[in-house]
Amino acid sequence: MSDGAIRTSGLRREFPRRKDQPRVALAGLDLEIPAGEVHGLLGPNGAGKTTLCKILSTVLLPSGGQAFVDGCDVVAQAAAVRPRIGIVLGGERGLYTRLTARQNLRYWAAMYGRGGRAGQLLADRLLDRVGLLDRADERVETYSRGMKQRVHLARGLVGDPRVLILDEPTVGMDPVAAREFRALVGELRAERRTVLLTTHDMAEAEAVCDRVSLIDGGRLLGTADPRTIGGWLGAFEHVDVTGAPAAVLAQVETLPGVSGVTELGSGRHRIETDRSGATQAVLEVLVAAGLTRLSTGTATLEEVYLKVIGERGLLV
Amino acid sequence: MRSAGLIAAAVRFQLVTLRRSPGDLLVLVTTPLLTVTFLAILRGAGRHDVQAYGVLAPGVMALWSIGVLVCGQIIDTERAGGTLELLLASPAATALVVFGRIATVTVCSLLAIAEAWLVALVGFGVLVPVPHPWLFAATLLCGAAATAGWATAMAGTFVLARSTRLFQNAISYPVFVLGGALVPVALLPVGLRWLSRLVYLSWVSQLLRDAVRPAAVAHPLPRLAMVIGLGAVGLGVGLVLVRRVSARVRATGEAGLA
Repeated sequence: MSDGAIRTSGLRREFPRRKDQPRVALAGLDLEIPAGEVHGLLGPNGAGKTTLCKILSTVLLPSGGQAFVDGCDVVAQAAAVRPRIGIVLGGERGLYTRLTARQNLRYWAAMYGRGGRAGQLLADRLLDRVGLLDRADERVETYSRGMKQRVHLARGLVGDPRVLILDEPTVGMDPVAAREFRALVGELRAERRTVLLTTHDMAEAEAVCDRVSLIDGGRLLGTADPRTIGGWLGAFEHVDVTGAPAAVLAQVETLPGVSGVTELGSGRHRIETDRSGATQAVLEVLVAAGLTRLSTGTATLEEVYLKVIGERGLLV
Repeated sequence: MRSAGLIAAAVRFQLVTLRRSPGDLLVLVTTPLLTVTFLAILRGAGRHDVQAYGVLAPGVMALWSIGVLVCGQIIDTERAGGTLELLLASPAATALVVFGRIATVTVCSLLAIAEAWLVALVGFGVLVPVPHPWLFAATLLCGAAATAGWATAMAGTFVLARSTRLFQNAISYPVFVLGGALVPVALLPVGLRWLSRLVYLSWVSQLLRDAVRPAAVAHPLPRLAMVIGLGAVGLGVGLVLVRRVSARVRATGEAGLA
């Protein structure tokens, strides 16, 4: 038994490969998420996020270690875990697209022991909650990707789970739908549900999560306050410029917070910053030099890994 | 009660799915054509005495075909659609859900029997009498149940095996022969007759033939019991296989594979 809503200890998962070493998806992951927390799980592709979600939702067995959901062992007490969790997988799969949203939800409600009239009422309530009641009787295959994702979310809630696992839930959502989704996560937090949210999107993690864990190579790199993530987002930016003279680039390189200048080819250069506010100073110098073919961007998650995690380490 | 509710939900779901995917019952389109073919051959040969066999054969073939082609694919289709892992993650018993869905499709496949009768009547003006209606109905019911049992076994097998399409196509005609769907088992070579006794469909075919003949039917209840018994063996194998499939995909991580 365990106190946290989710707890893993030395969790391992390997996938055997023919004529090769097994692929290690989780390499001894230790993670603890208290009840009622919205916890973000950030990591690049192949980091082990989805593997962790599948183990927690009992559809995948670990190779070693232990995992508990709401105090129940996901292997030894899988039957006790299942009514306690809801799982939402991102993407197009996982829905019966020829059926309507209402038919999908009624079926899944029955799978969670809410058949008949109770299931019908539950389906309608959830469709209303995700804003799809007006289109409940249209086939899911006619929905936009964002709408399908909302059906996924409603489906994840049919069992009234204490722990909700959202694996890349905003994949394919437009900005408006993504904002509505974040509001929904806020409601789930208010209901004291525990939410584990995996994402590539640092801004999303910052917006909805109480805490964020970074994983890579199947290991927990650290757990941080989302404001720290926000700081990284602001600090690690880049400016792409075309046609900048060498003298201007040399001047820019000396500015505080500029971490490097890289040639991209065809007269383009990328100026990278690692301090909040540095981008503004870079832009001022470039504009003053008469350069107007400029673009700015934020660091990708992988870039942040390279720059921050590799250098500073995190609070584990 | 919980299991009954779950099966009822699976039945409802499958009925809705069939309505949305009429292609799953494509066999119901070929059944009238087969009926026309068989009846035309028998009548052309002057065998009016066995016209009823020509009407029964397409129905029995449809029962098996839908079992092997549609029901056998149910788990694999779930996996390809990404819903198998969601089902495994739910508190529902996967084997019961699969059986409920398969039983629904199998019962729907009985429409082929009515189709064949209708084609004979409308196309050839032949109304095949059923002197033993209760036996006929009981055989169809038991036959459908046995088909659902073996289809559950196939659903489990097809997930574990590869090249299932090839197997599905290859297995149909041997079963039609051993199951006495095309010709009575008594006309098969002696060496095959004992083998056909192990195929539930052979008992179904012969009972249906006997039910459309005026003569008294010998040992109907023991023969129906054989249908149910052989079907139960299939269901038992199927439930074990579905559980093994569930355990295996959890171990290998193949639940979500397309």
